[in-house]
Amino acid sequence: MDGEMMTGNLAAAWGARLADVDYVPAFPITPQTEIIEALAKWCENGQMAARVVTMDSEHSMMTAAGAAGATGARVFSATSSQGLLHAFELLYSVSGWRVPLVLVNVSRALAAPITLEPDHNDVLAARDSGFLQIHAETCQEVLDSILMAYRIAEDERVMLPVIVNLDGFYLSFTREPVSIPDAGQVREFLPPFRPAHLGFRASAPHALGTAVLGGSIYSYFRHQIHLASMNALEAHEEAALEFNRLFGRRYGVVEGYRLEDAEDVLVMTNAFASKGKAAVDAAREEGRRAGLLRLRMIRPWPADAIRRALVGRRAVAVLDQNLSPGQGGILFQEIGACLYHEPLRPRALCSFIGGLGGKNISEGEFRATFEQTAEAGIRGKGIGPVLLYTEAEHSEMTQLQVLAAGPRPNGS
Amino acid sequence: MLAIRFHGRGGQGAKTASRIVGTAAFLEGFVAQDSPIYGAERRGAPVAAFTRIAREPIRERGIIAHPTVVVVADTSLISDPAARVLDGVDEKTVLFMNSSLSAEQLATQISLSGRVTALDLTEVALQRFGKRGAISALLGAVAGRLVGLRQESIHEAISRELADLGLAPSVIEQNQVAARHCYDAVPVVALETGSRRVPGSTRLRIPNYEPPSRGTARISAAANSLLRETGGWRTFRPVLVPDKCNGCWLCFVYCPDGVISMTKDDRPVIDYDHCKGCQICVQECPTRALVAEREKEGEAAWTAK
Amino acid sequence: MTWQRETFKKIKQVPREEHVFPGTSLCAGCGGLEALRLASKGLGDHVVYVNAAGCFTMLAAYPFTPFKGSWLYTTMGSAPAGAQGIRDALDVLIAKGRLPKEENLKIVVLGGDGSTYDMALSSTSGAIHRRLDFYYFCYDNEAYGNTGMQLSSATPYGARTATSPCSLQHQAGTLQEKKDIFEIWRAHKPPYIATVAPRYPLDLEEKFARASKFEGPKLFLALSACPTGWLYDPGETPEVAKLAVETGLWPLKEAINGEVTHTYIPKLKPVEDYLKLQGRFRHLFEPTLQKEVIAHIQDRVHRYWERVNQVERKG
Repeated sequence: MDGEMMTGNLAAAWGARLADVDYVPAFPITPQTEIIEALAKWCENGQMAARVVTMDSEHSMMTAAGAAGATGARVFSATSSQGLLHAFELLYSVSGWRVPLVLVNVSRALAAPITLEPDHNDVLAARDSGFLQIHAETCQEVLDSILMAYRIAEDERVMLPVIVNLDGFYLSFTREPVSIPDAGQVREFLPPFRPAHLGFRASAPHALGTAVLGGSIYSYFRHQIHLASMNALEAHEEAALEFNRLFGRRYGVVEGYRLEDAEDVLVMTNAFASKGKAAVDAAREEGRRAGLLRLRMIRPWPADAIRRALVGRRAVAVLDQNLSPGQGGILFQEIGACLYHEPLRPRALCSFIGGLGGKNISEGEFRATFEQTAEAGIRGKGIGPVLLYTEAEHSEMTQLQVLAAGPRPNGS
Repeated sequence: MLAIRFHGRGGQGAKTASRIVGTAAFLEGFVAQDSPIYGAERRGAPVAAFTRIAREPIRERGIIAHPTVVVVADTSLISDPAARVLDGVDEKTVLFMNSSLSAEQLATQISLSGRVTALDLTEVALQRFGKRGAISALLGAVAGRLVGLRQESIHEAISRELADLGLAPSVIEQNQVAARHCYDAVPVVALETGSRRVPGSTRLRIPNYEPPSRGTARISAAANSLLRETGGWRTFRPVLVPDKCNGCWLCFVYCPDGVISMTKDDRPVIDYDHCKGCQICVQECPTRALVAEREKEGEAAWTAK
Repeated sequence: MTWQRETFKKIKQVPREEHVFPGTSLCAGCGGLEALRLASKGLGDHVVYVNAAGCFTMLAAYPFTPFKGSWLYTTMGSAPAGAQGIRDALDVLIAKGRLPKEENLKIVVLGGDGSTYDMALSSTSGAIHRRLDFYYFCYDNEAYGNTGMQLSSATPYGARTATSPCSLQHQAGTLQEKKDIFEIWRAHKPPYIATVAPRYPLDLEEKFARASKFEGPKLFLALSACPTGWLYDPGETPEVAKLAVETGLWPLKEAINGEVTHTYIPKLKPVEDYLKLQGRFRHLFEPTLQKEVIAHIQDRVHRYWERVNQVERKG
C-alpha cells in the first residue's frame, strides 16, 4: 500500500498544508494539539507559506479565523470539545459572514465530568450554526475531506465554513497508512481562493456582519445560509467526482456497507463505523442480512441519500455516539424525521446510545444491537434509546462508587 | 378589542404611555396587554409601543397591525418610512397627533378624512415642565380619553408607572396635573370597533439563493447613512444669526454627528436633514450666533432641506 | 516639564474632511460619537473598524453605514482578535503579492467600556501581548449603555446604574471604584496609550498624530459623556466632558512605552460641579447631601493628582 503511516491529526495537518492555507490561528487543546504543532513547525521551516498565530482562547481564535477569512485569506483552524464550545458564539458569526474557512474538530466528550476521549456532543452542538459538517472514518478520509471541504466551502453557490470532524484518540492519535496527494494535482482540484464578497481593502470599503433591524431582514439572510448549505450537496457531488478522477478515491455524502440485500441496517458516523462494519461482517457470518450506513455529511443533511439507503428495510438502528439528555440520540431524531413520509419506511426504527466518552463498543454489544434490532423489525415496533453498557462495566462502576464514597461513618 | 399603537421618538415616552394606558385599563377591570418594540431606539429614533384592551382573553401579541387608535407623539414620524405610522390605518382608525396644527390641517396633510384629532402636548410640556422631555403621561392621558378610560384610573396609572421609573413624587404630581389638562382638552372622536374583514391566505414568496455579496448583511455603499434623515429627531433647531458669528469653528468641531460644515469664509452651514437637535453647537457658541428655535410643523423651517 | 502639542496648535487645524457621516441612530448629543468623529479625522478612510457589541453596533445597521472605510461587527468579547485576523490576513496577502500595498488598512477596534473593561479583557490582553499593530478606541460611558445603563467595571464609585441602585444600605449606588484600564494596558507595555475627551479636540488630534508613529497596540480611552445614561440634557455634553477633566476625575494623559505624561493639568474644580449636573449622581445631593460619598470622590482625585505632581514634576 502506498502512503505513509500517520495519525489522524497529522493527516489533518497535511490537509491544511496541501490546501495551501494562508493563515492558521491556533489554540491548543487535547486531543487536537498535534495538528497545530505540525503546522507551526512547517510554517517555521518554510514548508508552508502560512502564518500561524497562537491566540488567547478559542473564542479569540475563531474570531481571528473568521476575520482573516473576511479579509480574503484562506484560513484553517482546529479545536476540540470545550474549545469548540468556547468558540461557539463565533460559529454563527463566521457562517453569517459567509466565510468559507475549514475548522477541524477532534471530537472529545464534554465536561462535566471532564474527560478526554471522544463522543459527538461537541460537534453536533454546532449542527445548527451554518457550518457544513463532514465526519471522517479514517485518517485518509480526514486529509481528503479537508481538501474537499475547501473546494465545497469556496464554491460561490455555498460560501460557508466547514467543520471536518475526526474522533479523538481513535483517529487523532491512531496511525494508519495515508496516501498524500500530489501538491500539483491538489492545485488543479482546488482553485485559488478569490471570493467576490470578501476582502477588506482601501479601494473597496464595505461593512460586513452589520446589525439588521426587524425579523424580515434577519429571516432573509438566515434563510440564505440554509439555501447555501443545501447547495453544498450538489457541490459535494461535483467535488467528489473530480476528487475521484484525480486521486482515485470516491466519497459520497453517505457510505453504504453491505447494504444491497440488507434487511436490518445500522447507522453510524466517524471512526467507530469501522467497528460497525466488522460487526456487520460478523452478523453476516451468523446468517443475518445486516448492513451499515455511515453518515459522512451531517450538514447539509443528505436526506435523499439517507432515504434511498433506508427505505424498504425491515429495521434500522441508529447508533448515536452522543446523548441529548431528556431526548436521546440526536441523529436518531433526524433519521426518523427524514423517513417519516416514506410509504416503505422501515418497520422499526431503533435508537442506541453507545461510545459515550470514548467507551468501547464491544463485539458483544454490537451483537446485542443487531439482535434487538432484528426483533424490533419482526415486531414492527422500534425501541430505545438503549444505552450500550455492559454488566461488567456496571459492576466496575459500582466498585468505583464504593471507593468514591469512602468509609461510612461509625464503620456501619 | 381596542388596539392602541403609539409612535414616538426614543425619550418621548411612547413605551411608558402604552404602560399607563395598560395599567389604567387593568385597574378598570379590563384584560390588558402592553409592549414596546425594542430595536435600535436611541433618544430621538422612531419607536413604537402597543396597548390592547379587551373584555376577553387577548389572543394576539407583538405589533398591532390594525390599530383602533394611533397616537403620534411627533408628526415628523409620518414622513419617516422607518416609523410606519400609517401602516394598517383605515377609515375607521382614529389618529391622534401631538401637533400645533388643527385636526383639519393635519387630515389634509396626510390625505385622511375625518378621524384625526390633535393637541399640542409639546407646548403643554414646555409650559408646565419648562423643558422638553418625556411626555408619556400626556400621551397616556390622551390615549386613555380616546378609548374611554376614566380620568381617575389614568391618574393612578401615571402614579404607578412614573414611580416605577424612579421619578420624584413632585415630578409625578406635575405630570398628573398636566395629564389631566390634556385628558380634558383633547377633542374626542367616536371609535368604530366593528369586526374587521378576515384577510385571505397570504401568498408566500420563498426567496431564491443569491451570491453572498447580496445574500449576506454586507454594505458596499460607502457612507450611505446620509440617505437616512435624522432631522425629524429635533424639538429645537440651531439657527445661525450671521452677524454674530465670529467664524471660530467650535460648532463644527463639537457637532457629534458632523452635520455642520464651514464655508471658505468660516461660516457654519447646518445640514438640517441630519441635525438631531442636540444643541451642543448652541451651548458652545461663544458669541451666541447660534440660537435654538422650536420646531413647528408647517413653518418654513420644518420643511427646509 | 509640561507637555506640548507639536502639530495641533489651533482649532482650525482640525481637518475639515469628514469620515463618519451623519444619519446614524446614535443618540443626539452622544459624547462617544463626538470623540469618534474627531478621532476619525486623524485616522482617515483607509480603516477597517472592528466593532464589539455596544452602542456603536448601531452605527452600521443594514443597509446603511456612516463610514467611507470598512467595518466588521464581531462580538462583545473578541473584537481585538478580529483585529488580529484582519491585520494578519492583510500582511499575508500583501507579502504573497495578492494585495497591493496601497490597499493596506489601519485596524481600529471600537469597544464600549463593557467590552473593554470586562468581557474582552482576555482578547485584548492577548492582542497587546502579541504586539498587534492596531488602534483600540474605547468609548467609555461608564456603564453598559446599549442595554440601558447597567453597572460595568468602568462605572465610578457613587454613580447610580440600573443594577447598582441606591438604597438605604447602599446610599452611594455603585460601591466599587472604576477599574484602571489605562494601567492594565500599561502593564502590557504597549507603545502608545492615551486618554482623550472630546471637549479637548486639539489634545485628541495631537495624540492621534503622535500615535500614528508607533507600530503596535495603541489605546485611546475616550471619555464619552452620555446624555441618555448619565441623565443630563444633550446640549450639555461638552460641559460635562469639560468638567470631567477640569475636576481632575478624567485625567488627560498618554504613556509612550510605559512612561506616563499628563497632557493637561487641570485646576481641580470641586467634583460637585461635575456630579451635580448628572442624574446618575442626583442621589448624592437629594433628598440629603451625601457629604461622605462626595468627600471620598474628592479625596481620591486629590490623592491621584498629588501623586502625579510628585512623579512628573520630578522629571
